[in-house]
Amino acid sequence: MALSKRRVYLAGLALQLALIITVSSRDTFWLLSKSRTIFPESSKNYWQRAEQIASTTLGQRLPVTNPARQILTGYLDLAGIEAGYGFFAPNVPNSYKLVLELRFPDGRVEYELPRVSNAASILRIAGLLDNIGHTRSEALRQTIVGMLADAMWREHSDATTIRAIFGSIILPSAPEFAHGKRESYEFLYAYDFSVSDKSTEQSVP
Amino acid sequence: MKKLPELRQRVIDFCFPAESDTWLAILRIGLGLQLVLYALSLRDDWNYFLAGTGHGLINRNLGEAVLSLESHFVPRLGWLVTLGTHVGFREETVLSIAWICLLGSGCALLMGIASRFSAILAWFLHLCAAKSAGFVSYGVDNFMTIGLFYLMLSPLPDSYSLDWRLRKPRSNDPQLLGFWRRVFQFHLCIIYFFSGLTKCLGIGWWDGSNVWRALIRPPFNIIDPEILVRWKYLFPLAGIFICLLEIGYPFFIWNSQTRKIWLICICAMHVGIGITMGMYLFAFVMIVLNVAAFGPRLSRMECCTASLQPQKAVS
Repeated sequence: MALSKRRVYLAGLALQLALIITVSSRDTFWLLSKSRTIFPESSKNYWQRAEQIASTTLGQRLPVTNPARQILTGYLDLAGIEAGYGFFAPNVPNSYKLVLELRFPDGRVEYELPRVSNAASILRIAGLLDNIGHTRSEALRQTIVGMLADAMWREHSDATTIRAIFGSIILPSAPEFAHGKRESYEFLYAYDFSVSDKSTEQSVP
Repeated sequence: MKKLPELRQRVIDFCFPAESDTWLAILRIGLGLQLVLYALSLRDDWNYFLAGTGHGLINRNLGEAVLSLESHFVPRLGWLVTLGTHVGFREETVLSIAWICLLGSGCALLMGIASRFSAILAWFLHLCAAKSAGFVSYGVDNFMTIGLFYLMLSPLPDSYSLDWRLRKPRSNDPQLLGFWRRVFQFHLCIIYFFSGLTKCLGIGWWDGSNVWRALIRPPFNIIDPEILVRWKYLFPLAGIFICLLEIGYPFFIWNSQTRKIWLICICAMHVGIGITMGMYLFAFVMIVLNVAAFGPRLSRMECCTASLQPQKAVS
């Protein structure tokens, strides 16, 4: 292989690795600035600044419509390197649960969970619930929960109202479990959907 | 001053080693099988997850609208649906065709038929599905994109494919094969280093509580906690072992004396994750990536075979 060709390949390699390391660093700094870690609380401002620098390097502080940002973000997605690798880190978070309470004209009440066909899809639903729990956009959360309620409505078309109750599952530690404590459910949000006007009302704890 | 050109040459030699295409064959066959399993696992829920006309779980248009905020250049199923409607296909038909093509590209990769085209098609369709259904995507989609991206760019077809046997194409440049393997190896090292580093920062991985939480967290709670709690004294050991295994990966996987044990331990960890947490697809793709990147040349025999092939040693 010609030396000039090798240099082109090496430049590409350097760019690819620089992008992967910058994205991974950005997400690590974000975790450090938001989570409870071995570092003192006072260091969080420092990590936040480091995360901002990494984001700037990746062009993520440019306007959304900026072509450079669009192209760079596009490339990161195409290569599958748009996110870091902090799985279950630094700590394993609580999981979320969505219960749909269906009320029927005859007074009957049924409780349902979002349904899928197999275990592989259940993992995807868990990811979806994590997304609902983590989003800071109330409008997005409400829209997604509304879609889940709508999907349930298609299976129970005779239901008059659906209340979607979203909560966090609090896991006991191993010693707590050994002493009889079991997982508990902490209420976070509730949304009411009615068949008449499909209006949504929200309750918060 | 003399040392600079010497160093440059060493870097070039390291980044362009002469390699056989065994690693590429492992990656192609492994990802082909992964795609087939992925498509089959989504068979019943494919339209449910990806519909955009109010028949699905989460409207695809919402996921694609969020995606457009990030970049307009990321492939999505909406493009194919729009294209399909121009020629008179309904959305469900386009989605079904996409699923069949994804399954077909997986089978083609598995056998090595039209390897390059199949790799590009598989990467594109998988990326479309993963991005359009971004709200229900998780780690497995990310790693499949990474694997398919490198597979698509690597010098296909490999000598184990049907393409090779039927068409007898010109031999691949062994240094180019070596280069793409190096890129892939570097990427895996960064993945494990950061994964290990972020785990080390949490107290829960040192005292084992995160191992316990990961195993009882729905929907990963395959094993009854009543059984798990009897093994609670092993959790700190398991937590520290995982941290050290991951953070040590880029340091010990290159050394020929520690590579074998590290690779076996990493693969065993993924088998454990697959069995105890029900993440079979995730475990499988990680094992495929690891074995493709660092598996070949584990034994001395293959190393000798590769160096004895004269047509492959000459660039």
